[in-house]
Amino acid sequence: MREDRQDNQQSRKQIRFWNSGEYFDYSLLFIILFLVGFGLVMIYSTSSYTAALDFGDAAYFFKRQAVFAVLGIVCMLIVSKVDYHFLKRVTVLAFFGIGLLTLAVLIVGSASGGSTRWLEIGPLRFQPSELAKMAIILYVAFATTVQVWKLNDWKMLVKIMIPPLILTAFIAIENLSTAIICGVIIVAILFVASPKYSHFIVIALFGVVGGALFILTAGYRSDRIDAWLNLETHPKGFQTLQALYAIGSGGIWGKGLGQSIQKMDFIPEAHNDMIFSVICEELGLVGGICLILLFIILIWRLTLIIFNARDLYGALLVVGVLAHVAVQVLINVAVVTNTIPNTGIPLPFISYGGTSLVFLLIEMGIVLSVARQIKMRK
Amino acid sequence: MEGVKTYNRKKVLVMFCIIFAAAMFLVGRLGYIMIGQSAYYSAKAQALHERERAIKAPRGRIFDRNGVVLAGNRPVCTISVIHSQITDPEQVIEVLSRELNLSEEDIRSKVEKVSSREKIKSNVDKAIADAIRAYHLDGVMVDEDYKRYYPFDDMASKVLGFTGSDNQGIVGLEVEYDSVLQGTDGYILTLTDANGIELENTAESRQEPVAGNDLYISIDANIQSYVQQEAEKTLIAKEAIGVSIIVMNPQNGEIYAMVNAPEYNLNDPYTLNIDAVYNTEEEKQDALNRMWRNFCINDTYEPGSIFKTVTATAAFEKGVLSVEDTFSCPGYRIVGDRTIRCHKTTGHGVETFRQGIMNSCNPVFMDVGLRVGVEDMYHTYDRLGLMTRTGIDLPGEATSIMHPQDEVKDVDLAIMSFGQSFQITPMQLITAVSAVVNGGNLVTPHFGMYVEDPEGNRIQTYEYPIENAVITEETSATMRDLLEAVVAEGTGNKGQVEGYRIAGKTATSEKLPRGNGKYISSFIGIAPADNPQVITLVLINEPTGIYYGGTIAAPVAKRIYENILPYLGMEAVYDAGDAQQEAGE
Repeated sequence: MREDRQDNQQSRKQIRFWNSGEYFDYSLLFIILFLVGFGLVMIYSTSSYTAALDFGDAAYFFKRQAVFAVLGIVCMLIVSKVDYHFLKRVTVLAFFGIGLLTLAVLIVGSASGGSTRWLEIGPLRFQPSELAKMAIILYVAFATTVQVWKLNDWKMLVKIMIPPLILTAFIAIENLSTAIICGVIIVAILFVASPKYSHFIVIALFGVVGGALFILTAGYRSDRIDAWLNLETHPKGFQTLQALYAIGSGGIWGKGLGQSIQKMDFIPEAHNDMIFSVICEELGLVGGICLILLFIILIWRLTLIIFNARDLYGALLVVGVLAHVAVQVLINVAVVTNTIPNTGIPLPFISYGGTSLVFLLIEMGIVLSVARQIKMRK
Repeated sequence: MEGVKTYNRKKVLVMFCIIFAAAMFLVGRLGYIMIGQSAYYSAKAQALHERERAIKAPRGRIFDRNGVVLAGNRPVCTISVIHSQITDPEQVIEVLSRELNLSEEDIRSKVEKVSSREKIKSNVDKAIADAIRAYHLDGVMVDEDYKRYYPFDDMASKVLGFTGSDNQGIVGLEVEYDSVLQGTDGYILTLTDANGIELENTAESRQEPVAGNDLYISIDANIQSYVQQEAEKTLIAKEAIGVSIIVMNPQNGEIYAMVNAPEYNLNDPYTLNIDAVYNTEEEKQDALNRMWRNFCINDTYEPGSIFKTVTATAAFEKGVLSVEDTFSCPGYRIVGDRTIRCHKTTGHGVETFRQGIMNSCNPVFMDVGLRVGVEDMYHTYDRLGLMTRTGIDLPGEATSIMHPQDEVKDVDLAIMSFGQSFQITPMQLITAVSAVVNGGNLVTPHFGMYVEDPEGNRIQTYEYPIENAVITEETSATMRDLLEAVVAEGTGNKGQVEGYRIAGKTATSEKLPRGNGKYISSFIGIAPADNPQVITLVLINEPTGIYYGGTIAAPVAKRIYENILPYLGMEAVYDAGDAQQEAGE
């Protein structure tokens, strides 16, 4: 192993970066850059009216997001040059460190009496739960590859799942949406790694029954169910209803970029989780479908990288990222179209939010790093 | 180092397919919302974004017969505040309270109230509104509007009526012709953000208001104003509670003037025109209703001796009376078991009918009435329109209160013959007498003549029914002659107008209950007597002192005629007899 890695590092320094024959997934890079650029345009379009009113600067949110986008892209490119096998070394440390951080936020949050998802270190302010998703991807991919031949066994499966599930449970206390994403990531990686199907059917059943019980027992969540079913009359259905007005009034071709009216304070914080509704209002059904197709192309690109990854560890890392992106896109669009009850999940690359964007781009850096080591068939 | 095995790839493919399927399901859902329900949500969103601002349509004006504006519009403004747009509440409060003369607390409570729009004051003068607008205060809205304005304040107040806050008619012609005068409000649709702030450069649709149509009425502002002066002078001079005068063209029913003194200020219709203290709102409202009341058409009274014209007409129509028939008046007449007195208790002695009407002798008319009989008397009432409303174009017209025909005994008929024990409106009386003197045509008294659209095109001319030959021309001619004699030589002699042939009849009706000393003194005058063009009814309600109609009401008509007959283009004619008579005096 050690020799292998040294070998890798050496070959990377000497060959990978400078060698023009080296594989770099420019298609993926292009898709990512396009999504980030499109996201910035839509954030400007969506937030300029309210930003001008609230901050006197129409570009307030745009500027902030642009800074994070640049930061994220730089991080992505750096990470893409790091051999992803190096991540194995920091995985355990990172995982437990982030676990403690999450716990810390929880304690600070409960101490201050409110719901705290933010951690502030000096001028930096970020959501550890975003970090936790990445930590879970790293941890599960690593833990699975260590003894992958034992995955046929239930015991092994459970053994791998327990630590990330504990972390997920911490997250679930404050942020159910992120916890769901974490759960899906864990199961997705194990599903791809394991040769079996039956285990996952059982897990899926567990998930459904557990989810149903949870919803029925937790009061404010069943409130969301009520709002979902009686959208037009329930007071908590307001945000989603406004999103539906936006989507519905877009029609096939949309009102044109910048022409949304629903973004003018009708949809609360339209540039966040509900940004897809404004995209639909301005760019129409065609624009909405194009964006969904773009995400599918992105996911297909990730699938191809998994197919051709140099080793299982790299493949599983990409599976985790794929699950992360896919589940956020699907839940976000489902919420905005009132297909499922409202839960706050941002649209990857598009929605406003610095932490989310930077970590997503770092994950994409990992994917590009995995892609670099694909051996092209001659 | 583990490689990627085939089953791993297979499972990734399964995962991709699940994701793809879910994505396609969402695309389907999106398509359903954006195509299937697009219209529904678009409409809802549109309704949410649009704010409709009404543009009030100016109400049509009312002109007199010569084009003088009797009711017009004046621009006024409504000041309101929009809470969410106010940036400097203290300045807003300070400026509004100073400019509008309102208390600071009052305005503060409205400024600080979280509402989409709070009205501060309406009917603000345009000059003040412009001053407020000049401050450019955020969140203060100045909306222009029209307010009904009556340039002559109290002229023909009980005829014109006034409008309410929504520009709709409340009483008088304003109600009667509301549908003509009302315009169609326009609106501006603007798009707003969630706080109700109008968006710039958004397509807005605008529907222009359609102004109401103008109404031309038969009133002549000059005649009305002169008659009103006379009525008010008389009101004061006789310390009466009311003076009502109608001046009408007996040939077609056009009313030149209708005065009910005291009139009230149409620009301030909720202020009482008399000093009084009212304890309750209800009492005050009753007083206001009384003030707005048009005695000429809304109230009934016993017409008294003027009604003798109707009795005589019935007798001539039946052919049971000739002018030279003789009667005797001992000062009373016993009918059935009742003794009914003449106003001259010593009696008029033996007299012809002509003398009887000139003396306004009650026993003569009791005899005449009994000659006619109940059935034919009622028939004549009916022919002269006394059993139904006149059909005048004013709301709330009252109608006569008569004994049922089959209950009328001789004694009742005898009393009715000189105009007592039943009630009619002054309007019914003047209409009936018009038919008596104009050759037998029952006209519909009216104000409305024609309607012009805002561009000045005449779009409607009102036609009013005239019932021809309700009595014969012969009877009418006889009556003209007799009524001229009443003025020339009889009780109506104070109604004479130099150079004109005036016909007329006086009346002094004692108000019920009898013996309370309250009278309505009246005089009806017709000019010229041989070809009636103007008929005037003067009623003095509860005069103080002398209450004989011939003494106090006839001179009012005389002064009016002296003034308006030349104005209406009728030249005074002095013949030799008149000159001699003058010389002799």
